[in-house]
Amino acid sequence: MPRLTIDGREIEAAAGRTVMEAATDAGIFIPYFCWHPKLSVPGNCRICVVGVEDKGGEWVEIACNMPVTEGMVVYTNSEKVRARRKATMQFITLNHPVDCGICDKAGECTLQDYHYEYNGERSISVDAKAHATKHYSLSPRIVLDNERCIQCTRCVRFTREISKSNGLGMQNRADHSLVRAVEDGSFANDPYSDNVIDICPVGALLSRSFLHKARVWYLKPTASVCPGCSRGCTVNLWHRRPEWRLRAPGMRAQNETIDRVTPLENPAVNGPWICNKGRDIAKVLGRARAETAMLKGRPAELQGAIAQARSLIAAARKPVAVVSSWASNEELAAFKAALGARFSVLVKADHEPEPGEVVQDDILIRADKNPNTAGARALFGEAPLALPPDADLVLVWGEGLDFGLIPAGAKIVYLNAWLQPENGHADVFFPTSIQTERDGHYTNFAGVTSAFTQCFPRPAGVADAQALFAALAGQAGGGE
Amino acid sequence: MKHLIPEFEKMKERYPEGFESSLVLPCLRRIQEDRGFVAEEDIVALVDYLKVPRIQVEEVLSYYTMLRRKPIGRFHLQACRNIACSMRGAEGVIAHLSRKLGVKPGQTTPDGTFTLTEVECLGSCGTAPVVMVNEAYHENMSTEKLDRLVDELAAGVRAGGK
Repeated sequence: MPRLTIDGREIEAAAGRTVMEAATDAGIFIPYFCWHPKLSVPGNCRICVVGVEDKGGEWVEIACNMPVTEGMVVYTNSEKVRARRKATMQFITLNHPVDCGICDKAGECTLQDYHYEYNGERSISVDAKAHATKHYSLSPRIVLDNERCIQCTRCVRFTREISKSNGLGMQNRADHSLVRAVEDGSFANDPYSDNVIDICPVGALLSRSFLHKARVWYLKPTASVCPGCSRGCTVNLWHRRPEWRLRAPGMRAQNETIDRVTPLENPAVNGPWICNKGRDIAKVLGRARAETAMLKGRPAELQGAIAQARSLIAAARKPVAVVSSWASNEELAAFKAALGARFSVLVKADHEPEPGEVVQDDILIRADKNPNTAGARALFGEAPLALPPDADLVLVWGEGLDFGLIPAGAKIVYLNAWLQPENGHADVFFPTSIQTERDGHYTNFAGVTSAFTQCFPRPAGVADAQALFAALAGQAGGGE
Repeated sequence: MKHLIPEFEKMKERYPEGFESSLVLPCLRRIQEDRGFVAEEDIVALVDYLKVPRIQVEEVLSYYTMLRRKPIGRFHLQACRNIACSMRGAEGVIAHLSRKLGVKPGQTTPDGTFTLTEVECLGSCGTAPVVMVNEAYHENMSTEKLDRLVDELAAGVRAGGK
């Protein structure tokens, strides 16, 4: 293994590694735009230049494409390197419109950060800036601002090397080259297209659903798990920071909405990517909620509903429970501990693939559209969902069960988070919390368990399932 | 494009295996020579033949301005506007052609006879200014020579000959 020195620190790196990789592994930062750890090396942005000692002198070369050699002495911040970086920044920002004031990327923009760090001066160019298209619709989901683009080609390489849609390319050449989608429309159908928004180092590729919605410094990321399929990708859910709460009437709902979803890098599950369905998961989580307990469709106090459910459970001769594959491991374990002995338990799929949705591919998307089927099956077995005809009490937990399958005459206790027509058909109905209102874990199809964290307070009147099960079993504590 | 595949097969032999994408440029040149431009059906057929992603063909087509996706006039007048030609009056040449044909550079006359284009160096600086008409060089161009050239070409079209 070659030994080399970076900024006076002696490090060891495997042969064939580049200086960029060796430095990154050792925790030494070298700036980069076009380089990405998961993509090929084009070496076109030139910002990662480092100095290499040679016969008493020093030459500069890009770190991303330079293999390490034995005895190499590298400087990441010598005078020569600083001068070259500064000149490169001048060049990269030559035609940049500097419209950070209206740019969604401001605050998390590499170009902005590097400008402050490595240049910090006005443009030295006296020529007028070249103009290009703004607000170009790259796909129904992505808006492109070509004036901000620095032609690093990360997005192009993503579609060639990761999503394999070959949906993007560079058209024309030189300072009028443009990122464009292929004419056969395959970019619009790429289920991973939105990842190019994250990997864009500047504000060129923008999410239409997040366009001009919020300044990122008013938002806070909360670590979560995407419930869209059994891959269980770890994600960040971005929502308003509590200290920046909106107080104006009519704006308060925005304090408790998910403004955007981005991947939370996780080598064990999803790497740095997620699919477009995950980006839109706020639509699923933001559906109208059930917030009142009901007895045969009539609103009821939670305590009264608990008492009624308890008497139904006590009276049942053959109680069956159908548990949710959207429930957390903690909730499922609580159910098993409190009521597992009383009920025979089946696991259901809360969600089935939607029409038009990618059912399964060999990148991330899984056919099972529920996050915790593996967790539920580990506790309650693999039995197929067949309700015994002689069941006289069915406890249904979560959406997605056709109530027509429930034997006629059986009493129904229903737990659901959403406002749905089935709610009123249950003898006892409990509104439950969703994953953004509690902490918990899901176990994905491969057995990897990931944690999600609470973003918002639980609405008044909504029960916490863990406490509810204890109450239904007659143990201490209520649903609140 | 299909009738060119035997030619493409011969071309393929000059490249290492697995380098089909290197054939995009020579194939596009040949298609354009054959049809006069590259049509949508040529792109589809080429993608199918070379098994390259369509975006690579689109990129090459847009990178090289010599490749066209639309038909042009019967006579393609390419006037050099590079340094040597400019020093010898290329700007006047282009302005004169523009006036005479009644089109701006990049446009085609309404009768479809002439297309005027400004191009970079044609590699004939010793005989600047140069105008290329289809594949032929016309050197040391002056206003009189341009007039004669355009008139002869137009007369040839009117007479129905080449």
